[in-house]
This record gives sequence, C-alpha cells and structure tokens, in this order.
Amino acid sequence: MSSLPFASYSAPDVQKSFTVDAANPRYQSTDGSTTGPSPHVLNAGQIDRDKPAPPRTNPDGQMTALGSLRAHLTGLQDDINHFLTDRMEQAKRKRARVQSEEQNNSVDHNEATKY
Amino acid sequence: MTSRLDHSLKLQIPFPDAKDAQVALRVLEPDPVLRPEDFQCSYTNIGNVLEVHFRSVDDRSLRVGVSNVIDSIKTIIEAIDELA
Repeated sequence: MSSLPFASYSAPDVQKSFTVDAANPRYQSTDGSTTGPSPHVLNAGQIDRDKPAPPRTNPDGQMTALGSLRAHLTGLQDDINHFLTDRMEQAKRKRARVQSEEQNNSVDHNEATKY
Repeated sequence: MTSRLDHSLKLQIPFPDAKDAQVALRVLEPDPVLRPEDFQCSYTNIGNVLEVHFRSVDDRSLRVGVSNVIDSIKTIIEAIDELA
C-alpha cells in the first residue's frame, strides 16, 4: 500500500481519484488555499490568527513524518474542496437552466391556452 | 422518505506508526454526525492506515463534512507530533 494519503470519490455520474505528489510544493505546506479566511476577508484587513502552524521539523531541518503527513493532507484537502466546489457550481447552473426552461414552457403553455 | 447517500468519498491515510492510526481512530469515533440523514462517515483502521468512508446526499454536504473531518485529523496529527 502507498505511503501517501489517497482519496477516491464516487457519484452516480462520475468517479475520481485524488493522489498526492510529494515533490509538488502544493503538498509540502500546512497553509491550505481552501481552509483559511477568504481573500475578501483578508483584503478587508482581517488578520488570520488561526493560521495553522508550519509542519514540525527535526533538528536537521527536515519535516517530521507526521509534519509531512499533515502537509500532504492539506494539499489533498484543497484538491477535494476545489473539485467538490466545482461540482456544486455545475449543479447550481444546471438547476438554474432547468428552472428557466420550465418557466419558458409554462409561459408557452399559457400563451397557447389563451387563444 | 429515505435519503439516498449516493455521493461517497473514501480517504486512506497512512500513518508512520500503527499505534498513531489507532489513536486517531479512537479520537474521531466519538464525534456525532449532526445530520445522519444527509451525511454519514465511518472509520476503520488497517495496520498503520486509517480509512474514512464518507457518504452523502449531495456534493455540498460531502464537501462540508469531509473538510471538517480532515481538519480534525490534521489537528490530531499535529497533537501526536508535538507530544511525541
């Protein structure tokens, strides 16, 4: 079994796997892009006091195994959050399209029954 | 009406040590799920790997639940690392 965290997603219409690339800086930080305050809040002057501590390091400067695991999980969490947020946006657009089609159909029906 | 929990995510986390994986499992298990009709998760521990299985009615509930559990797991990992 791999020594890196792994996730697999399944929905009726799609399946997806999430893997960690340990060499990518995205998986070497505990400061995730989807887990802190939004840019809007930060730009308004808010200071992030809950920022996660950086990964713990050994005296030789290398990340501890658990520090590294926490960083890997942070990157994986960002990947999952981005993917699911995109899926939510797609579902929202689909709902809006269906609603607008239903409204158009209902207007057509009313117009047709008027005469 | 019964909910269809047809959106799922399986997460595997290999800890450096089987004991750490078991500690994480025992810390996570008591947490109740607030809306079990919309979201459920279960934990298993195979050797040094902690496996979490999430099931949900939609992507929105899944995103919130999964991210919260990962936040908890990261806190557990940090605590084990600091106290080691």
